[in-house]
This record gives sequence, C-alpha cells and structure tokens, in this order.
Amino acid sequence: MHKTITLSCMIFSGLLFCSLAAAAEPVGGIRPPAVFEDDMGCLLCHKFPKMGRITEDGESRSYYIMPHVYANTVHRNVLCTDCHSYIRQLPHKKVKQGVRCDGECHSIKNPATGKKFSHKPIYQKYKQSTHYRPKLAKGDEQDKPYCVTCHTNPVYNPEEAVLPTDVTDRCVVCHEDREFVDNWYKHTSRRINKVKRSAKEIVELCTSCHGDEKLVKRHLKTAKEEGRELGRKYEYAASSYKDSFHGKVTGYGFTKAANCLDCHAETANYFLNVHYLRPSRDEASPVHKNNRLKTCQRCHKHADENYAALDPHPTSEKKDNPFRYYAELIYAWVGDLVFIGLIALAAFETRGRLRDGVYWRLRNGSSWLRRDSEHDVSKSDS
Amino acid sequence: MKLSSETQRVLEVSMGINKTSDAERREIEALIARIPDNRIQLYQYVVSNPLGDLPRYSIHIRIQHLLTFITFLTLAFTGLPIAFFEHFWAVPVNNMLGGVNVTRIIHRALASVMIFAMAYHIATIVLGSFVKIKQGRFESARSMIPAMKDVHDFKDDMLHFAGKRSHRPEMDKFMYKQKLHYFAAAFGNIVMIVSGSSFMFPEFWASILPVSIGAHFQEMMRISHPHEALLALLVIAFWHWYNVHLAPGRFPMQWTFLTGKITREHQMEEHFLEYLRCLVEIPRERIHLRDMLEAMEQAEKENSNTAAGG
Repeated sequence: MHKTITLSCMIFSGLLFCSLAAAAEPVGGIRPPAVFEDDMGCLLCHKFPKMGRITEDGESRSYYIMPHVYANTVHRNVLCTDCHSYIRQLPHKKVKQGVRCDGECHSIKNPATGKKFSHKPIYQKYKQSTHYRPKLAKGDEQDKPYCVTCHTNPVYNPEEAVLPTDVTDRCVVCHEDREFVDNWYKHTSRRINKVKRSAKEIVELCTSCHGDEKLVKRHLKTAKEEGRELGRKYEYAASSYKDSFHGKVTGYGFTKAANCLDCHAETANYFLNVHYLRPSRDEASPVHKNNRLKTCQRCHKHADENYAALDPHPTSEKKDNPFRYYAELIYAWVGDLVFIGLIALAAFETRGRLRDGVYWRLRNGSSWLRRDSEHDVSKSDS
Repeated sequence: MKLSSETQRVLEVSMGINKTSDAERREIEALIARIPDNRIQLYQYVVSNPLGDLPRYSIHIRIQHLLTFITFLTLAFTGLPIAFFEHFWAVPVNNMLGGVNVTRIIHRALASVMIFAMAYHIATIVLGSFVKIKQGRFESARSMIPAMKDVHDFKDDMLHFAGKRSHRPEMDKFMYKQKLHYFAAAFGNIVMIVSGSSFMFPEFWASILPVSIGAHFQEMMRISHPHEALLALLVIAFWHWYNVHLAPGRFPMQWTFLTGKITREHQMEEHFLEYLRCLVEIPRERIHLRDMLEAMEQAEKENSNTAAGG
C-alpha cells in the first residue's frame, strides 16, 4: 500500500512538472537532433533531472533522460517503446521487469536480412553460458552479469567528437545527406576503434566480480550447500591471474599476452563466443583438459602436451599448491637468515678486527692513505 | 715462526714447482723463521703501495669482475622495477627508462652481457687450469676448489674474532669467505639464467622436462628469479661490500679489482699461504720482507734498551 502511494505521488508530481515546464529548453540548451523523435511523449516526464526514486532497498535510481546525450548513443534510432515494450499508456504503470535485451525492434530493421533488428542470436548464446541469469534473478544469481553489466554503452566516444571531414566529405558526395553520413561514420568508427575492450579493461571487467572476495565466498558457500562443483581455481581466478606471467605482462600494458577471454572464449567468431563462456569442466570450454593444448597453441605455437600441463593460474595457497607454498616459505626464511646472518657476521668480524689493532685505518694508513711519508708509494715495486 | 706441517707442505710444493735452488730455499726458510708468530706485528713496518704490491688477479678475471658487477647492478636496477612495477618507486624508474616495456628490453640485453661474462669466466678457468696442469704448476689448494681446510679456517677465524685465538688462521689464496661467495654467485648466476630463460622460452623447458615436474619447475623459476635476485643483492650489500669496502683495514676501498694486485699486509693477514708462494716466486719480495723484519727487530731492540735504561 505504502509503495503504491509513493509511486502515485511521484507520477503525479512528475506530470505536474511536465505541464509547468513543457516549453522549457532541454538541459544544456542543445536541441536533440531531428533523429530523436519523442513521438511517444516519454520526455514529458523523463527530461527532468530529478525524475527518479529511492527503491525499497535504499538505492537511488535516476530515470532522467538527456535527449541530446541519448541522441548520440548507439540506440538513438530505437524508439523507447521498442525496448520498454511493456509501456502501453501514460502515465505508465509500475515497471516490474524492465528491459530485456532479447526483444525485437519494431522501428529498426536489420539491413542485411530485412528482419526486425534483435539481439536474440547473441542472447541465445548468452543463455547457454555459465554467466546466464534471468533479468529478474534471485539469490546468488543476482551476482551474475546481465547484458548491461558489461555493455555499459559509453555515451562519449572521443573518436566521434570531431568527425574527420576529409573522410566524411567524400561520402557526402554520393550519399548527399550529411547527417546520414555522420551517423554511419560514428557507427563504423565506434566498431573499429572502441568496440573491443583492451586487455587491461577485460581483466578489470572480469575481476570486478571474480576478484570480489565476498561474492566469491558467497558462491563457494552456496555451491557447497547445493553440492555443486565449481572450477578448481574459482576461488583464486583473479588473484592468481594477476600473479601469473600473463597477468603480469598484461599489467605492463603488453597486449599480446593472454587476458581472461583469450583462453576462456573461443577465438573463432570471438564477438559472439565471448557470450558463451562455459566452466572448465565442460568440453565446450577452450580450457577443458581436452582442449587446453589447442588453446595454448593459439599463441604458443611450439607448445606440446607438457606445456599444456603448466598451471596458468598459479597460487602460493597451501591447499591449492603446497609445493609453491613451501618453496616461498623456504625462500622467505633463507632471505631473513641471510640478512640477519650477514649483518651479524660483519659486526662480529668488525669487533674482532678492531680488537686485533687493525682499526678503521691501518697503522700505516688506510688502503688509500699512507701515514708514513717515509714509505713512499713509488718505492714499492712488483 | 715455526710453520705447521700443513703450511710447510704448501711451501715445499711451491718450491718444488718453481725448482727453487738450495741457496734460495735456505734464504726463504731463514726469513720465515724470523717472522713473529703473530704476523700482525709486522703491520706497522709494512712498506706498501695502496694500489697493491703482489699479483692476484689476471686481466681476464678483472674484466669478468667488471662485466659482472656492472651487469649485476644494472640488472638489479632494471629488474626490480619490472618485478614490482606497480609499486610507487618503480613507476618513475620505468618512466625514466622509457616505460616498462623498454626496461624489459634493456634487462634482457644486459642479461646477455652477464651470460657472456659467465661463459668468458668458464673458458678462462678451464683453459687456465688446463695450461697449468700441462705445465705442472696446478695446485688445487691455490684454486677455488673447496676443501676441509676451509671449514677449519672458518672455525679458527671465528675463534680469533671472538678473542679465543691469538692470530688469524693461515689461509690460502682464496679463503673460506671468498669460496663461499664465489659459489653463491655461480649458483645465483645459474639460477638467474635458467629462470630467466624459462620466462622467455617456456615451451622449450616444458618440452625437455617430464610432465610431472614441468609445472613445478616453471613455478619454482617464477618465484626464484626475484627471490634469488634479492638474496644476491643482500649478499652483495651486506657481505661483499663490507669485506672489500667497510671492514677495518679495507676502508674505503681496495684497488685489487682494477690493478689485479693485493697489498702486502692484506696478503700476509688473510692469505698467508699465498704470501709464502710469493716469497718463492718473487725474489724481490724477500728483500721487502727482510727490510720489514729488520725494521721490526731494530724497533724491538730500541724498545728493550729504553726499557732497560728506564
């Protein structure tokens, strides 16, 4: 009851502001390009910066749309209701599920097939991957990534800020419409320059979940309770990668070293297959023991069976790798003993030698200075 | 001084190798007999050139030492910011060198110079020993080969430093410290080369090693490279630099690594057996020793006269 009242109040106040400020300029004073058509009237309310609410969990949600920004995003040609298809009236009802990315666009057609544009093919792959979760997930499934976890759809692309007219002018010669050309240029340049995350960014993205200790512990606990099997390195995936040679070299900014996806995803049709990550115990995974050699050979051309048996996620954890644990322990002890031992020995020897009468400078001087001028250096031979 | 049977044997071997005449033999033995039991007493009468008096290292060894210490320090300087590249101090070092990827190239280039120095050294000692064996002049005691004597020397030296022994043991050309240090450096070099090559050629090492130890080897090498480097730095900073720079009597520096010569007092103190060989091999050295002994005996006589007169 309480929720309904809150929501109603918000919608009412939203509408009130809409009517008062209907003629107001959008924020920033920039008019949306002609391509952005608010034919559904969504901006009546959603153009206001304070359009939002605090959820029952105390989370702040903004429903504010900046038309001039939206008009520069990849979805600029898609009507709001193509994705928000559950909205049938204004003011709309409480949103239960939100946008799913496997719908079909009514306003955009796939120019290659002529069919309605859709992310369905990639969604189907994602659905079979170990990362799949429904839009409204429960329990630990909420930790899994939905499309927008990775596809943050950055609104600013420096490559698009100033278009190179020496390129686009040429296009305009035949295509005539500059806006059309500019949009195509942005479309292609974004895919050429920015569509793939750098190796470092990929590691950062994967680590944002797999390196989250609380998340990992939660999943380990649930898997144990449910009797489910997790990867042997599940617990150490992020930290061990960082310690590995691949991780270290990628950290240097070296792009040829393997990042997470270089091993865990199929390289054939990479952009589709990164959505189809399977656990290492599944034969479909490139890191399954049957596929490992082939995966290593993607980069290490001369790798053999022995090479594929090396551990790409080495740790010094006792339960994961006791050999390395004890080796490090021994090295640490040896280091400490050598450090203390050598200083002690030097101090002991100094004390002994001073007692012997050989002080900091020898009686006849030091190794540099001679006290006795009578014993001239030039007298010495041999 | 009366030589111990062991020391006497070293002298005999040296005189045998050098085919010392009977007259010279008597001269040497007479001189040695005049040396006081505590050799340190001769210090104040030593006439010595700080740049060194007696031959110790050939030009090859000096070049190898130079190559090794230059590459060691620069390898440490480039290797540490590679290993700890995320640390605050590593960032400016890498930036100064042109970025961590340039540091890695410099590190590998220096490593190849270090490997060359090692190969050069192995060639020198193998060929040098071969020539000496052929000439009948090879003495294992005069080489780096460890012997039980080193253990006894270590014990005696510690007793001396603890004040429980009047004088330092009569040690050979290479004393226990130098042997330990030499083999530590040799071992360290091999570890660094093998582990470094395991980073560059992991496929090669995996292919020649049995599958059961391949992974352990690779991991051992991963942790060994930085650990061994730090260990070597500790040994160099706290032991080698102490011994050659800071130890009383050695401060501020010995010139041996450049001139290849050791000072007379140092040879007598720490390498007495080698000093005896010098007496056999370098006739001029006998004159220096006689001068020293005469100066000492004269001073003692004056002292006793003053004491009697007083």
